[in-house]
Amino acid sequence: MEIYISQFIGGLSVAMLLFLVASGLSLIFGVANIFNFAHGSFYLLGSYIAYQTISLFPNFWIGLITATIGAGLIGAILEFIFLKRLYGRVNEGPFQILLTYSFILILDDAVKFIWGPEYKTIVKPDILEGSFVIGSIFIPKYNVFIIIVGIAIALLAWYVLNKTKAGMIVRASSLDRTMVGLLGVNVSMVMTAVFGIATALGGLAGAMAAPLRTVTPGAGIEVIIDSLIVVVLGGLGNFWGALLGALIIGEVNAFGILWIPQWASLLSFAIMIIVLIFKPQGLFSKSR
Amino acid sequence: MFKKHFLVLGLVAVIVLLSFSVSMAAEVIKIGALYPMTGRAGLYGKDSEAAIKIALDEVNAKGLVKGKYKLDVIITDDQSKPDYAVSVAKRYITSDKVKFLFGVISSAVGLAVTEVSKDYKVIFIGTDHAATDLTAHKFQRYYFRVSNNTYQSMFAGAMYLKDMPGWKKIAYIGPDYAYGRDQWLELRYGLDKLGVKYEIVGEFWPKLYEPDYTSYITAIIRAKPDILVAGFWGGDTVAFIKQAKAYGLFEKMKYFHPDAGGNYELFAAMGDELPDGLILSARHHNNWPPTKENKAFVDKFYKATGRYPSYAAQGAYAGILFIAQAIEKVGNPNDTEALVKALEGMKLKLPEDPEGFTSYIDPKTHQIVQMQAIGVTEKNDKFPPAKKMLGNFKVYPADKLMPTDEYVELLKKTKK
Repeated sequence: MEIYISQFIGGLSVAMLLFLVASGLSLIFGVANIFNFAHGSFYLLGSYIAYQTISLFPNFWIGLITATIGAGLIGAILEFIFLKRLYGRVNEGPFQILLTYSFILILDDAVKFIWGPEYKTIVKPDILEGSFVIGSIFIPKYNVFIIIVGIAIALLAWYVLNKTKAGMIVRASSLDRTMVGLLGVNVSMVMTAVFGIATALGGLAGAMAAPLRTVTPGAGIEVIIDSLIVVVLGGLGNFWGALLGALIIGEVNAFGILWIPQWASLLSFAIMIIVLIFKPQGLFSKSR
Repeated sequence: MFKKHFLVLGLVAVIVLLSFSVSMAAEVIKIGALYPMTGRAGLYGKDSEAAIKIALDEVNAKGLVKGKYKLDVIITDDQSKPDYAVSVAKRYITSDKVKFLFGVISSAVGLAVTEVSKDYKVIFIGTDHAATDLTAHKFQRYYFRVSNNTYQSMFAGAMYLKDMPGWKKIAYIGPDYAYGRDQWLELRYGLDKLGVKYEIVGEFWPKLYEPDYTSYITAIIRAKPDILVAGFWGGDTVAFIKQAKAYGLFEKMKYFHPDAGGNYELFAAMGDELPDGLILSARHHNNWPPTKENKAFVDKFYKATGRYPSYAAQGAYAGILFIAQAIEKVGNPNDTEALVKALEGMKLKLPEDPEGFTSYIDPKTHQIVQMQAIGVTEKNDKFPPAKKMLGNFKVYPADKLMPTDEYVELLKKTKK
């Protein structure tokens, strides 16, 4: 029994980090209809900004905040300067992919240029070192922290999107940009803000993952594949779908590794294929 | 007036003479190198590039064959993609007229480029990629490897485990592709050959560059091995160790990672966070052997780049020295067949050779024959930013670590 609990909690912390990355990807797609291939690069930027901040001011929390704000600002600027020019263009989709793919290459090289090719690391804050030990179950404090932040972000997003005026405008913009514009809302600014918030989420995820993972050029591309699976599972552009998709992938992997380790790395793809066959719009396809 | 003319004439004469002597002194021999320069593996490409420069400075300072030749290396990002690397290698040969192909970190790229080398009869010096296949059943006579293959490091690993008392249960985790699979096959082959009795309690195959090992870690702890053998590469070790530490994995079992676990970049990235007592090795160590040659190489690298080298650097350095020595011996860089003959069995004292041993190229397989040293992590802040390095090294004799004919036959049967 204990192994199931520890496997479940492990899966949950994997899922929450996945959700943090995928939620931003999904938000941009849902609201702005942009497929941001470079979302992983904002995750990467988050890791490096946190690393840089912490080496200047040795405080993990300041690092987390600057990473979130920094990635968000860079995201908003890139949207404002480049992506905006594509809106409404013929063949907007392929152009978006090309442009955001070029962001990946540029940001990856920029990171290597600024911080060098060698691996970096961030040390966890003292308060999150160590584990809770219950019987034979180890639950690292840092993983609990990730789970709490994941849930908090999900709740906050629910509140903002459903209970505030800003959220209403965002939801309306995702349905009919022209109409919202006619009502006197500066839709262009809404898009920039949403893009900034989404990339800020990516930056936050990168900074939070940094104490557990390898901070290295190329890490952004590695997270984007799993995030894509999550987003496709949940339904492209659906925030809650991203949460459900992340939970499914996290837990299926956790138990797959326990029961059929030889096939574990195939499972997430197998699930994606099954969902695409039977529910091609994703699990949460009806409500948006 | 006359004085002025004389001055101008003199100057012209000097310039003419100088350019003449330069063109006389140095026919440039081109070497076409392929390394990844982007993404995770970019670190190894950058380090190889720096080491190549160091070696070129040493070689070109006096020139080759009494100053007749100089070496020049062109480096292209192979993007770790075999198809792309093949097209670059062909371009190197047909339009850049390189005399040697060189480098390569990824074994997949190595296996593709060796075919080009074979077809065009151009010597390919492999400086890092470790797939045993290249000097076993995929052998072709224009290929030479100047760093060890996984068989050598895993067989040394098997010898280490044979001498380690008090273990029976063993588990493995490694990336789910040829490199990860080969290491596990070779370690078990070694253990069986040495008559070691063991029980396998788990095999785990995350994908390369898996960011999150949490679920693997809990499953490994449940399997209760005495020894966890790891075959990670390229920074995955950093992520695994960070995540496993919080679960107390290293108190519950021995962590054993004999091919690439002891890469310096792990020590540099983890500092104090790295647990003591991990059993690791690498293709080159910055603090072993404690010879003046190794110290000189590491210091030169540090001076040139401001950081200590990862394992890939020494292979690249060795490759250039081997080429230089072969040309020196043959006296003619265009006689490929003579160069192949010269390289076969060639001896060269390298930074990673301990006192009393000199690396050499096995004439039969074209694989470099080298000693292997396996160590244990302990405090050592002489190579910052690392706070820990390997110590308490155990050294394994080079000639015992070469793949047997029986193993090559096994590869032929099991792999295409």
